[in-house]
Amino acid sequence: MRAIVERLKYNGLFVKMFVIMVVSIITVTILTSWVTIRMSERLFMNTFSITNSKVITQIKTNFESFNYAVITAANNVLQSGSIKGFLTQGDSGTIATNKTYYTAIQLMKQYQANLDAYDVGMTITGTNGRSYTSDNTVWPIPKNQLRAHPITINTNAEPKRVMYQFSGGTPGSLNPVIVATKALYDRTTGTLYGDLYIAIRETAFKRFYTNFTSDGNDVVIIDRSGVIVSSNRDDLIGKLNVGLLSYAKEIDEGGLQYKNASVMGGEYVLLAEYLPTYDFFLINLVDKKTALKQLVNTRAVALICAAIVLVALLIVFVISKRLTRSLSLLVRQMSNVTKKNFHNYINVKGSFEVKELGHAYNYMLDELNDYVKRLVETQREQHNAELAALQMQINPHFLYNTLASIKILVQQGSKEKASETINSLISLLQNTIGNVSETVTVSDEIENLKHYVFINHMRYGERIKVSYFVAPDCMDVRVPKLILQPFMENAFFHAFNDKPDGYIYVLVSAEAGALLCEIVDNGSGIEGLSDNGKLPNPKGGRQLFSGIGIRNVHDRIVLLYGQAYGVEIDSKPGEGTKVRIRMPLL
Amino acid sequence: MKKVLVLLLASFVLLTACSSKSDNGTSTSEGTNDTASKGTKALTAWAWDANFNVKALNMAKDAYAAQNPDVKIDVQENAQADIVQKLNTGLNSGTTKGLPNIVLIEDYRAQSFLQAYPDAFYDLSSVINASDFADYKIGPTSLDGKQYGVPFDSGVAGLYVRKDLLEQSGYKVEDLQDVNWDKIIEIGKAVKAKTGKALLTQDPNDLGLIRMMIQSAGSWYTKEDGSTPNLKDNAILKQALETYKKLMEADIVKVTSDWSQFVGAFNSGDVATVPTGNWITASVKAEASQSGQWAVVPFPTLPNTPSSVHASNLGGSSWYVLNIDGKEAAADFLKQTFGSNADLYQNLNKEIGAIGTLKAAASGEAYSAADEFFGGQKITADFAKWTEQIPRVNYGMHTYEIEDLLAVEVQNYLNGKALDKVLSDAQSQAETQIH
Repeated sequence: MRAIVERLKYNGLFVKMFVIMVVSIITVTILTSWVTIRMSERLFMNTFSITNSKVITQIKTNFESFNYAVITAANNVLQSGSIKGFLTQGDSGTIATNKTYYTAIQLMKQYQANLDAYDVGMTITGTNGRSYTSDNTVWPIPKNQLRAHPITINTNAEPKRVMYQFSGGTPGSLNPVIVATKALYDRTTGTLYGDLYIAIRETAFKRFYTNFTSDGNDVVIIDRSGVIVSSNRDDLIGKLNVGLLSYAKEIDEGGLQYKNASVMGGEYVLLAEYLPTYDFFLINLVDKKTALKQLVNTRAVALICAAIVLVALLIVFVISKRLTRSLSLLVRQMSNVTKKNFHNYINVKGSFEVKELGHAYNYMLDELNDYVKRLVETQREQHNAELAALQMQINPHFLYNTLASIKILVQQGSKEKASETINSLISLLQNTIGNVSETVTVSDEIENLKHYVFINHMRYGERIKVSYFVAPDCMDVRVPKLILQPFMENAFFHAFNDKPDGYIYVLVSAEAGALLCEIVDNGSGIEGLSDNGKLPNPKGGRQLFSGIGIRNVHDRIVLLYGQAYGVEIDSKPGEGTKVRIRMPLL
Repeated sequence: MKKVLVLLLASFVLLTACSSKSDNGTSTSEGTNDTASKGTKALTAWAWDANFNVKALNMAKDAYAAQNPDVKIDVQENAQADIVQKLNTGLNSGTTKGLPNIVLIEDYRAQSFLQAYPDAFYDLSSVINASDFADYKIGPTSLDGKQYGVPFDSGVAGLYVRKDLLEQSGYKVEDLQDVNWDKIIEIGKAVKAKTGKALLTQDPNDLGLIRMMIQSAGSWYTKEDGSTPNLKDNAILKQALETYKKLMEADIVKVTSDWSQFVGAFNSGDVATVPTGNWITASVKAEASQSGQWAVVPFPTLPNTPSSVHASNLGGSSWYVLNIDGKEAAADFLKQTFGSNADLYQNLNKEIGAIGTLKAAASGEAYSAADEFFGGQKITADFAKWTEQIPRVNYGMHTYEIEDLLAVEVQNYLNGKALDKVLSDAQSQAETQIH
């Protein structure tokens, strides 16, 4: 859990970027597909309605030519005197009747030839009760029912017109038919003498348009009362649909190109045309759902979109991961900068920007380190200058007292001792006055110590004995100048204030790869020294030989060799003091 | 990186799957068309006369469906003229689209189709056994020794008579048993005088009566070769036309214009007799109120013609298979029904009075049963007896073409033109038209 949170912390940029990309890619894809589909739908509907209105014109032409054939046949029948005779005369002997029948039927057969292409059944009935049917199977209605049939009544009401009427449920036959009728009347007197029926099966009638229909693209022929007389959809034939009729009227009267409507429980695009000769409306119903299903395969579009989104997301994932990885690596490295004393340089890699950033960062670290180095250098130099200044300040009292002692020695006549003392002083001064940063060998340092001790013995007597124990392999190790002298001075002038005599040991040895110098006395010890070995700071105490105090010694060693080295003081009151100086073996 | 590759591959697979799916879509839609023509077979059959042929076909269909449920047969009723026209149009144009698998063709016309369109019909020689059927049916239904048609009904003719009307006019059924047309005309006059009813109906465009008359004497419109017109100097035809004119002049004929008027006339009791083929039985029986009043007597002979017998034929038809997709299935249908199923013929006889020409069917009980509608007369047995006596003629190829010409001349003859002139004019017209 914690690891995930940690990861998220460093990948925050990536997560944000990725989420934004995901959201935008999906949004763009969905919006684009939606807009495209909508546009193509609209375009499709427009072109569809244009093609379909042409199709309707074609269908209309088919209907016109059928109507023309019907009109021709009707006119022929109407103009034929023989047929009129057949339908009006009474029986007048078998032979005459036979002739009338023969002629009339021959004529009817001849007239029907015009309509041969259309598979129709022609029937004529006369007021004298005679009738003739060319094909009884088309419209098998008994002749005795025909006279009172609504179709006949409608026809006789408007004798001058060829009417097209629908007959759905003929007893004995379920075949719906469209019957073209014409009242036969005498044009001079206007008296009706019969009726002509030209019946066409709905199955034949629909051939005028079925070539143009398809699934979702239906044609419906509806009469003025709203009854569907013909359709490529068989389930609709004979049904009353007033809604459809009113849409058709609206389109026809308003001169609309097409109309969107919801009829028969679906969304349709409606195109309509009035067929004046038939008094029917020709309606083209385009099922939007089916039409558009053919246009747009929603499933395929969705799948392709999903695939594109997936691929895009993959690419985005990989690229943004790569972009942000170097950045988050950088961030991780940067956050560790304090842990290694500003020496945590960044591994420069990744994109150009990140590289530049790394370079700049590393450059900054360089500058910082450079600055720090220079600061340390300056400080050291300043310290050295201070030390040098202190070193130069050899206590005039020391010289005065020493010279005074020598004068007494000379007066006492101890020439030997006097010259020895002067030699020691000379050697001491010679080694002391010089560059403070210079190092000397342990043997030289011990030599200096000996000179200093000798001078002090000359001055104050030999009640304090000094012994030197130096490991032979340490003789050539180099140490800073005057590193032991301040401790020796301390021991001489502070350790034996209460004791008449004592001794001081100087031990130099190598221990655990370091040089260990110990100055041990058996004096009165130091009061109030804390147990942790912290050095006392004798501020007020005036140094007797040079300005270099014991505090300075520790600082010098740390400054020169690092924290691992330094001075430790161990003191027990009444027993003595032990000073340990640790330095590298150089 | 591996993960990325796997994901990329997966998405490609997805994309290809999508595209291949649309391919499948088109191929299956093509496939369904194939299975429609191979798997469940859909056959179309055309016939005329809803009461007779169409009904027979539907009964055969039901009998067949019991054993072959995967074959769907669409029975379509069309007027005979319509079938002839459509067949001619379709076969002439060479497109078999819209044509049925099985079609009923009248025997008179069979040869004209078989000879005009030699490859249009499927050879059934190996499917049915021609010797299983009445001999006289084989001539019209075969060509060059190959059997093309499955013979269906017998067209054996008889004279259907109304016993009640005859009795009202002073005649009995027995009086009509062995008579010639002169006697019939005489009876007709009496019927007309007593009851006011006509003797029979005639459609001036249909010379079926004349055909029956001449076949009863063994003559036809064409000579034995089936193509030479045989009108001029045809004594039998001449005698038939004279009889026909006598009938007309007697004013005992009700003129009709079409089939429905023909049926309507005897159903409504307007005529005393119906001289026609046995296939009218169903239509006669359709008027149940006339049960018991009908009888069938042997067809009258032609007067003054020794060769004329009391038997003739009118119509009769056979089933043919068109040489188009589905012909094997159609042939199998015919083989198992009209081609061999004697039980089916029994049922056909019971239901619609059809008399088949399958010899095996004649021994069935239905063929010897008495019919109460006809006063207990065993009409099927009677028809079967007359069938054997029908004189064999070759209908040839031109029966209806010649009849169309003859019908015009008959009108002229009725209106006073000399009979010899009528026949020689018809002969010369026929010779010009027929080659």
